[in-house]
Amino acid sequence: MSYITIKDVHKRFVRRGQWTEALSNIQLDIEKGSFVSFIGPSGCGKSTLLRIVGGLMEAEEGEIAIGGKSPQELLKAKQFGFVPQSPALFPWRTVLQNMNIPFEVNRQKVFNSEEQGDPISLLKAVGLGDFVHAYPKELSGGMKQRVGIARAFATGAPILLMDEPFSALDEITKEVLMHQLKQIWEEHKKTVLFVTHNIHEAVYLSDKVVVMSARPGRVSRVIDINLERPRDEAVIGTPIFNDYITELRESLRERWG
Amino acid sequence: MEKSTETVTWGVRVRNATGSVMLPLMTFVILFAAWELIVRFMDVQAVILPAPSVIFAELFTSFSFYLPHIGVTFYEAMVGFVIGTVLALIGGVVMSQSRLLERMLLPVAVLAHVTPIVVIAPLFMIWFGFGTFPKILVAAIISFFPMLINSTTGFRSVDESNLEYMRSLHASRWEIFFKLSLPGSLPFLFSAARTCISMSVIGAVVGEMSGASKGLGNVVMVSANYLQMDRMFAAIFLLALMGILLTNAVRVVEKRFLAWHSSGH
Ligand SMILES: Nc1ncnc2c1ncn2[C@@H]1O[C@H](COP(=O)(O)OP(=O)(O)OP(=O)(O)O)[C@@H](O)[C@H]1O
Ligand SMILES: [Mg+2]
Repeated sequence: MSYITIKDVHKRFVRRGQWTEALSNIQLDIEKGSFVSFIGPSGCGKSTLLRIVGGLMEAEEGEIAIGGKSPQELLKAKQFGFVPQSPALFPWRTVLQNMNIPFEVNRQKVFNSEEQGDPISLLKAVGLGDFVHAYPKELSGGMKQRVGIARAFATGAPILLMDEPFSALDEITKEVLMHQLKQIWEEHKKTVLFVTHNIHEAVYLSDKVVVMSARPGRVSRVIDINLERPRDEAVIGTPIFNDYITELRESLRERWG
Repeated sequence: MEKSTETVTWGVRVRNATGSVMLPLMTFVILFAAWELIVRFMDVQAVILPAPSVIFAELFTSFSFYLPHIGVTFYEAMVGFVIGTVLALIGGVVMSQSRLLERMLLPVAVLAHVTPIVVIAPLFMIWFGFGTFPKILVAAIISFFPMLINSTTGFRSVDESNLEYMRSLHASRWEIFFKLSLPGSLPFLFSAARTCISMSVIGAVVGEMSGASKGLGNVVMVSANYLQMDRMFAAIFLLALMGILLTNAVRVVEKRFLAWHSSGH
């Protein structure tokens, strides 16, 4: 059963009086509680698609329904945990104060309290226990990203829109966070839309990987990852895992050749 | 470990204090000494240029004479500063929210800004008399423009991804303004406030010079007419001091508020 239904979506931008087709004829069905990764060359419209699903931008053509509702309706109900590509931290707020923004804003809508996380323990979990009261300028790029991720977890929002959340992290930290994300997802069955450039990440985490191609941005393939759930690291490197890696790599390469 | 870091910060603090207070002070001491020497050895007449020693002697012996004048000028400048900057902030909010309103309002503000305030001040005196009100008005007008321009720019210069994040939470226009635009533009507002506060002293003095019975501007005018150069220089010195102290007062507040901002350090 499809939860997020994306139908015939087109998105164009004007640049110097010329239309560029950022997204062309996107069709996609995403099930409730599933983990979907988006992968594709830079500029193929991954962030744009995430914005449209999150109600931050409107498509010129096509329809998006999430459980029968429009993205704007869900946005108004604070149903999205948005992790932007550039970590949106307010420089005058400490890390902890930044974690509190979603709770301070638009207060009449409250998050599902059962799934909310305690900000401080979440910060500890992403390795920032000593930086709770630090200002963003005192953090590295990867540390800022981790705050953004912890903040999305803290809200308990049922739909997570994560735009390359691990791009600035070192391998080890990335692994740790990947497992945390997987755990939170397994625990609460959130619907996750996850943009990445990393094939391994995509296969390991996802139920479905959406391969996109550029100019115009379109969905070139959708690969279902039928690895067992719950998964752990043992799956990495197994023949079936490697087959998915190869398949993904090839469908990405096709689009270049 | 603990101790050594403390010594380091203490050392840095001492060096900072030396840099920001002692060095300029030394320059002034040298300047005043040179001035003193020139006046003494070249026999400059006191009606042309009094020696610093004479000026300071005048200042200390008749300080009670200056005190009410200081109070009046300070009052006019401060009230003018507050009125001017508050109105400018309101204007900045309005103009940052709407390009249309900006296009309508900005030309008026520019016109008021480019018209020399010195020629408007006598007009205010004719309209509003010799009291403090016309001086406050001049001080307000003169401190309006820098704050208007900086606040409009500041409120507009919101970080795009922060703005998008706020929108993803369906934050209201006012939440976005008070939680994002306003704190984010504090560096702009403080830098304007530093300019405005010394401008407002100039405004008060300009107002006083076009007709007043009180205030340091008036003291300068009157003593110039009577060639009381020591008094005139004492008043000028007090005005300069007032400007420096007020600008630094803003700096102190700025440092408290902008610990997160690099220029606030
Ligand atoms: N606000 C905008 N105005 C004009 N053009 C835009 C805008 N946002 C995106 N684009 C264009 O749309 C296309 C897709 O951009 P998008 O940011 O979605 O790419 P992306 O797949 O996220 O790339 P990356 O992997 O580099 O983040 C690009 O060609 C970009 O120039
Ligand atoms: Mg992107």
